[in-house]
Amino acid sequence: MPGLLPTPTDWPRVMLARPTAKDPADLDVAVRNGAFAGLRRAVHELGPEAIIREVSASGLRGRGGAGFPTGEKWRICATSGLPGQRRYVVANGYGADPASGTDRYLMERDPYAVIEGAAIAAFAVSAGEAIIAVRGEDAEIVRLLESAIGAAEEAGFIGPDFLETGMELTISVRPVQGAYMLGEETVLLKALEGKRGQPEQRPPHPAERGLFGQPTVVQNVQTLAAVPWIVVNGAAAFAAIGSKGSPGTVLVQARGAARDGVAEVPLGTPLREIVALAGPLPQGRTAKAVLVGGPSGGLLPPEMLDTPYEFDALRAAGAHIGSGSVVVADDRACTVDLARLLTRFCADEACGKTIPCRIGTRRLSEIAERVTSGRPRPTDTQLLGDLASDVVESGLCDHERLATLPLTSAMRYFPAELEEHILRSSCPAGVCNPIAMPATALAASPAH
Amino acid sequence: QLLYDEYGTLKCETCFQCAQACPIECIDMGGIDTKNRYHIHWGPPETYGERRDESALRRSGRPVPDRAYEHFAPIDLAPVDAVLSEYDYDPKHLLPMLEATQAAYGYLPVAAIKHISNMTGAWYAMIYGTATYYGHLRFDKPADRPQADALAAARPPESSYRDALAGSLAGRGAARRRPARPRSN
Ligand SMILES: Cc1cc2nc3c(=O)[nH]c(=O)nc-3n(C[C@H](O)[C@H](O)[C@H](O)COP(=O)(O)O)c2cc1C
Ligand code: SF4
Ligand code: FES
Repeated sequence: MPGLLPTPTDWPRVMLARPTAKDPADLDVAVRNGAFAGLRRAVHELGPEAIIREVSASGLRGRGGAGFPTGEKWRICATSGLPGQRRYVVANGYGADPASGTDRYLMERDPYAVIEGAAIAAFAVSAGEAIIAVRGEDAEIVRLLESAIGAAEEAGFIGPDFLETGMELTISVRPVQGAYMLGEETVLLKALEGKRGQPEQRPPHPAERGLFGQPTVVQNVQTLAAVPWIVVNGAAAFAAIGSKGSPGTVLVQARGAARDGVAEVPLGTPLREIVALAGPLPQGRTAKAVLVGGPSGGLLPPEMLDTPYEFDALRAAGAHIGSGSVVVADDRACTVDLARLLTRFCADEACGKTIPCRIGTRRLSEIAERVTSGRPRPTDTQLLGDLASDVVESGLCDHERLATLPLTSAMRYFPAELEEHILRSSCPAGVCNPIAMPATALAASPAH
Repeated sequence: QLLYDEYGTLKCETCFQCAQACPIECIDMGGIDTKNRYHIHWGPPETYGERRDESALRRSGRPVPDRAYEHFAPIDLAPVDAVLSEYDYDPKHLLPMLEATQAAYGYLPVAAIKHISNMTGAWYAMIYGTATYYGHLRFDKPADRPQADALAAARPPESSYRDALAGSLAGRGAARRRPARPRSN
């Protein structure tokens, strides 16, 4: 389990509000700490429509990266199809970014928060079945969730006639594995259907036509874990946390030379304070870039550290919340090399369904590759810009659109470093090889 | 060439999506893999005599003859049958079925996939398309797969990205992905 980073005491806790239990699957302890109070209130006091209104009023937005308003998604799902229609809730706990353990941390620490959130969502949209999709490699989490679901069913919180509603709610865990793209919602649904994992055209969105063609709410596990808190404490209390456009908190994986761990952060917190969580830089080093959003994240320079960490401001800055990963790179790193590495990863993981995905990302990665290996063409900057905007315009899913961010953010904030590579075939940081290195970098290297 | 572009890089991934998606079935694909084992095709029934037979027979509920695949190494199908009955012959559970089949044999033998296709009614090409997508499913016995290993090594696996990132962050030296040029002092 990744560690929890110490955070300022005045930061509110929503998803990690409950204390850590010795056995997170112990239902009695969880209930004593408030688990299922939200579901009780949702079922006995609010009812489906009021729940959706409450979640909409709270301003909760999806924590899986895209930031879509959660209440709106539930409303679309609840009103799609016929009244007696089969509907599904899918909790996305896949955690695609191998360098971010936020969702995993949440499920290991408080499986009941996710289960309860999924139950409230299912009740709100009248879905009879909720599926929690997690990584097949995380056998521990599969076991933990299964035993937690078993206990909750035994206690009557879920299952047949749950909380005396006369309705049935089945929650199950589905381990999936084998591709980065499984985190994307339509790909995840394909995997649950037993098909090849390639994204679908939207609209129709999964909320209208999702798993097996039925209306489906796909929600990140953090989003779901925030729901019981909202139902218990009220929409206003939630909206008061975080920033105006992005209320509430989010889990981040902050990583620097000193520390690497998970923290619950109010949205809108200046990036600087999140970077500070990762601890000080090594002696004599200065911050060069912050990678925000995971493999398809943006590289932001220190001047941008005042950017509030929330959906819209980050997108405007050329990054995104993504997997919640925030990585600090000091002056030893080369931003062009970082962008090359990230683009290569994104191209390798692209599913191959459409041309921007299959060929666009590969060409971007090839350009980055030649720029960092001393074979640039003088027109490469122009070409990168054009190709990236074409991919963004024509992409089928967000993966190929976001895959352009590492390179476009590097072009936007570190043009001088890129220009050195392209026009002079040299790497100021002395990272790229076999590019000629400036004499200063050679002199500083320990090999001499 | 459909498969490779002018630089020799793979162009068509043989995912069969185009043939599956084409509403008027004007795209059909057929062929065998590089080791001459996976003989698959996807397209309108008229194109392939054996496909028409299969479809007709399957619809009539009779067993589908498997002539085209006779030369494949026969396997004991009992483990696949167990898997099939556990998942109620339901192609919706294809992924766990393939995983359980691989757990039983150590890999996915052609005959097993063929059998799953026959028993569930899911098109062979579709099962193949699913099985080739997921990184943890394999078609070769772990022991005799040097080619697959070489491919896997050339393509950075998902988890190696963490280490590669750490390398790039640490700057010079660690980020090197090619052997350094010999240094003359
Ligand atoms: C390439 C890619 C990877 C993704 N990976 C994840 C993931 O690991 N977990 C997740 O919850 N959402 C992921 N998403 C976002 C989902 O597509 C989807 O927006 C989300 O699960 C919806 O839930 P939310 O509204 O609660 O965020 C990914 C999206 C893309 C394009
Ligand atoms: S859709 Fe798939 S099979 Fe068809 S041409 Fe494209 S890559 Fe090849
Ligand atoms: S990754 Fe292939 S369409 Fe998005």
